[in-house]
Amino acid sequence: MTRAQRAHRGPRWSRPAAGLVAVALAATGLAACGSEGGTSGGSKTITLSMQTANVQKSDPATYQIVKAFEKKNPGIKVNLTGQPVDQHEQQMTIAAQSHTLPDVFWVYNSLAQTMAKNGNLLDLTPVLAQNQLKAKFPPSMLAGYRRGALQYGVPYQALVTGLYYNKKILAKYGLALPKTFDDLLQVAKVLHSHGVVTISQGANQSSFSVWAFLTMLDRFGWEQKQAGLLDGSISYDNPDFLRLYEHVAELAKAGAFPENMTTQNYQQAVDAFTGGKAAMLDSGVWAAGAIQASPVGNDVGFWAGPTFADGVGKQELVMNAPSAPLVVSAAVGKNKTKLDAVTKFLQFYYSDAGQQLLVDNAQTPVTTYQPTGPAVQKPVFASVLAALHAPGWTSPSAQPDLVVSAAASTAIYESMYGVMEGVLSPKQALQNVAPTIKPAG
Amino acid sequence: MNWLSRRWQAALMLAPALLVYTVYVVYPVGYSIFYSFTDYNGVTEAKYVGTANYRHMADDSLFWSSMRNTMVVLGVAVVLLVPLAFLLAVLLSSRIRGAGVLRALIFAPAIVAPILVGLIWVFILDPHIGLANAFLASLGFTGPEWIGGTSLTPVSVALVYTWQTVGFIMTIFYAGIRMMPRDVLEASQLDGATRWQQLRYVTVPMLQESFAICTVLAITGVFKIFELVYVLTGGGPIHLSEVLVSYMYYVTFQLQNYGYGLALAVVVCVLGAVVSLAYLGFRRRSARA
Repeated sequence: MTRAQRAHRGPRWSRPAAGLVAVALAATGLAACGSEGGTSGGSKTITLSMQTANVQKSDPATYQIVKAFEKKNPGIKVNLTGQPVDQHEQQMTIAAQSHTLPDVFWVYNSLAQTMAKNGNLLDLTPVLAQNQLKAKFPPSMLAGYRRGALQYGVPYQALVTGLYYNKKILAKYGLALPKTFDDLLQVAKVLHSHGVVTISQGANQSSFSVWAFLTMLDRFGWEQKQAGLLDGSISYDNPDFLRLYEHVAELAKAGAFPENMTTQNYQQAVDAFTGGKAAMLDSGVWAAGAIQASPVGNDVGFWAGPTFADGVGKQELVMNAPSAPLVVSAAVGKNKTKLDAVTKFLQFYYSDAGQQLLVDNAQTPVTTYQPTGPAVQKPVFASVLAALHAPGWTSPSAQPDLVVSAAASTAIYESMYGVMEGVLSPKQALQNVAPTIKPAG
Repeated sequence: MNWLSRRWQAALMLAPALLVYTVYVVYPVGYSIFYSFTDYNGVTEAKYVGTANYRHMADDSLFWSSMRNTMVVLGVAVVLLVPLAFLLAVLLSSRIRGAGVLRALIFAPAIVAPILVGLIWVFILDPHIGLANAFLASLGFTGPEWIGGTSLTPVSVALVYTWQTVGFIMTIFYAGIRMMPRDVLEASQLDGATRWQQLRYVTVPMLQESFAICTVLAITGVFKIFELVYVLTGGGPIHLSEVLVSYMYYVTFQLQNYGYGLALAVVVCVLGAVVSLAYLGFRRRSARA
């Protein structure tokens, strides 16, 4: 074939190629239309993406708030989606890169801070100013989600954590509910001698499940040390924290933790507790409903955790801090219709009606709303509320893992599990964490 | 008959495959290599950090423990998997009753999702609630920490990987044995060769290519193991049972350290290719000698 012949043939085969390009462009256009969403047929749609695969089942409070909101605002539809937390975090990261973030979404604070720094998130100050919504929050609930003047998030739910305990198991072995660490150690020794697990824990794919021990960090002066830890003037490897880790090692030595802690996950730890195979469970208020519905439901109480004779500062601490935030994509601010819909949704979420729906699903309110109704009468949830409102007990302003980077929080979790599993000495555990503590974001 | 033999026709026919290959292989690999030289965290702008991520590996004890675990899995899997698959293929290609059913049973784990394989084996290998140690206990022995301890997990992962893959590798050998010319075997039989001699001097030499393919598949498979570790131990305790891919996942997606995670991905990719090519080179030299 001559050059001239090839030149002549060129346009003929370029036609199908042009056709392909046109089809591709059309497909891209359609996809773009799909992702734009917003309004259709006179109704507005907002997207809400959560950190659980089955929101209706695993996070009924959010599901019911969405349904109640849609009922109250017939012109607005909430497209509620969810996926397991790891996948969710990945997807939100990718969505931030491709500017396809959902309108409202749950995210860990460390990633939220990175997104806020990158300009991916909407400043919620004007939203909170409407109807004096901001006044409904205790100041500590919003402070953790601020970057300078930017209020990039609002608390999704309150993080009330501690140890659930089975009264029947304790009574069976003649044990009273411990108050101090020494009491707890004694309980662990007695229960272990009878082959009973004291604290149900599960590290497999859930190393974050050390909530009660994070509060113990506060009982060894985390809050006083926090600024120094973050600016590097205080090391995580310090004598106070070492004493705490030594206590964790004492518990491990006393057989307080399950032998299969490494291979079982958090849900299996919950199942062991609700199946009556463990005396205590390291968990939080989110588990109250499931525990209430379980065979041990009527025998369970909630304990904020032990006080320490050698602790630092106030010992009467119960964790009631904001959990991960709900954040809003910065793109929402460029679409007035959508912004109005999102504002209405957040106003409803934090209204008394919205907070009562939280309470109805065994979650404590994140605002100053005083809950009522039959839910607060259920023994497990009532015991959580009782621990929260116990005279003289107060909450740290934030859970320690939520003020450091993802790497540092993971290192803290793993340092605790490392000592519980006997893989790390207390000193090694502290040394593993120390270099990872840096300001998040 | 029209032959589509012109260069542009060939190019046009290759284009879809090349496009898919470029989008799903070339681009991601290039993307990974590029970002492995940055401090990318997945969200904010990436800054070029030179070879810092690669140099960091030298001091990263978890990287080295993941490497050691991967090599243990590789060693155990290759030593066990290929000979076992070959022996099963030889056994099942002979006229034994129920060979078809046995082949299907041995192949079955290969079609089960690795996540499910992991879940099945957790209930067998868990040192405290697993069947393996319960069985040993019934015989009066104390079972070891198959998973969840600090030493045996990679061996257990290799055993589970072997169990999962042996049926697939066996099928390749089986196909090779079935395709062998029967007259060669008959000739050796007429010459008085025993069954063992036939195997040693006829079957094995004639299946050299199958051995090469199966070994490379076993090696590359080891460098892709993720779900088994994820389900069996989650990499614990404190990441001491991670293999390279699960450690890469942890660094990239849980620590959000995309730069370092992608550097790990590049190393895993290069390592898999180097080990496979080294094996093939070794085989070629052995064949020439």
